[in-house]
Amino acid sequence: MTIANWQEQLRRGTLEFAVLLAVAPGRRYGLEILRHLEFTALVLTEGTIYPLLARLERDGLVSAQWVAGEGPRPRKYYRLTAHGRMRVGQMTAEFRAVTARIERLIEAAGGDR
Amino acid sequence: MTQLSETGESRIRGYLYVLERSMRAAVSVQLARDAVREVESHIRERVAESDGTPNERDALEAILTRLGSPGTVARAYSLELLMEEATVSGRILPVMRSLLHSAGTGALSFIIAVTLFCGYTVAAAFIAVAALKPVFPQNVGLWLEDGMPRSFGAQFPAPTGMEPAGGYWVIPIALMIGVTVLMVVHRSARAWIASVRARLSARMP
Repeated sequence: MTIANWQEQLRRGTLEFAVLLAVAPGRRYGLEILRHLEFTALVLTEGTIYPLLARLERDGLVSAQWVAGEGPRPRKYYRLTAHGRMRVGQMTAEFRAVTARIERLIEAAGGDR
Repeated sequence: MTQLSETGESRIRGYLYVLERSMRAAVSVQLARDAVREVESHIRERVAESDGTPNERDALEAILTRLGSPGTVARAYSLELLMEEATVSGRILPVMRSLLHSAGTGALSFIIAVTLFCGYTVAAAFIAVAALKPVFPQNVGLWLEDGMPRSFGAQFPAPTGMEPAGGYWVIPIALMIGVTVLMVVHRSARAWIASVRARLSARMP
């Protein structure tokens, strides 16, 4: 596996979590989520965030609502559902546990040589 | 650049048209319309943000490039919704819709999709024979002509000079064949969609 493939898998694996975290504080619309995630470089093609949001909505992790009058066009706002909030909690705990273990491994291997 | 020229407007309309057409092969009309509305909202917001950009054409192209081609966005919807539902739930309708969608991704995919659809049709035909036998006992069965089997299935009206053989044994036999074919074809279809999904996913930017 090339480093590019590995990075790609890592990015894909964390994108869903990142999107859920983006809507955790309160409702956000698609472009707002993209702006929030910009520094993470997790979204390479902006248009692919919408299918992901649609799946999260279908899975009941977020709810969506069209709101008019807040921008040039009506915006579709997303917010976490109770189920989504629970999932974020689980993912956060798991992510922290995994990163802590990997961090220990990195240290055991002699740091970031 | 809040007010676009006619050329800019037609570029956006063209993008959205292609997106909707590409999506309809994979998702419901309602979801396609909702997605197009959301993508249009995204484009208009980006256009409003780029107010003051001297070259409208370049600014618009940059917005659409960052968004991804309509095909890329439609493929992402297919991956996230249709193919995931097909591979995870394994329900027949999503699997068949995914097959239909995958048929357009290459010559091999097309051939495999057609073969699998033929398999589903064969399975459905056997199950239909089992279901019709109790209702039309004189029209369903193994058709013999001069003691030689000629065809199997339902015939309306019953052909002259031929008679259905096998009696009610046709029901369990046709049902067993139909269900077996259905299971084999459906498993193959799910495996194929999973591989198409992995392939498309690898290509997704």
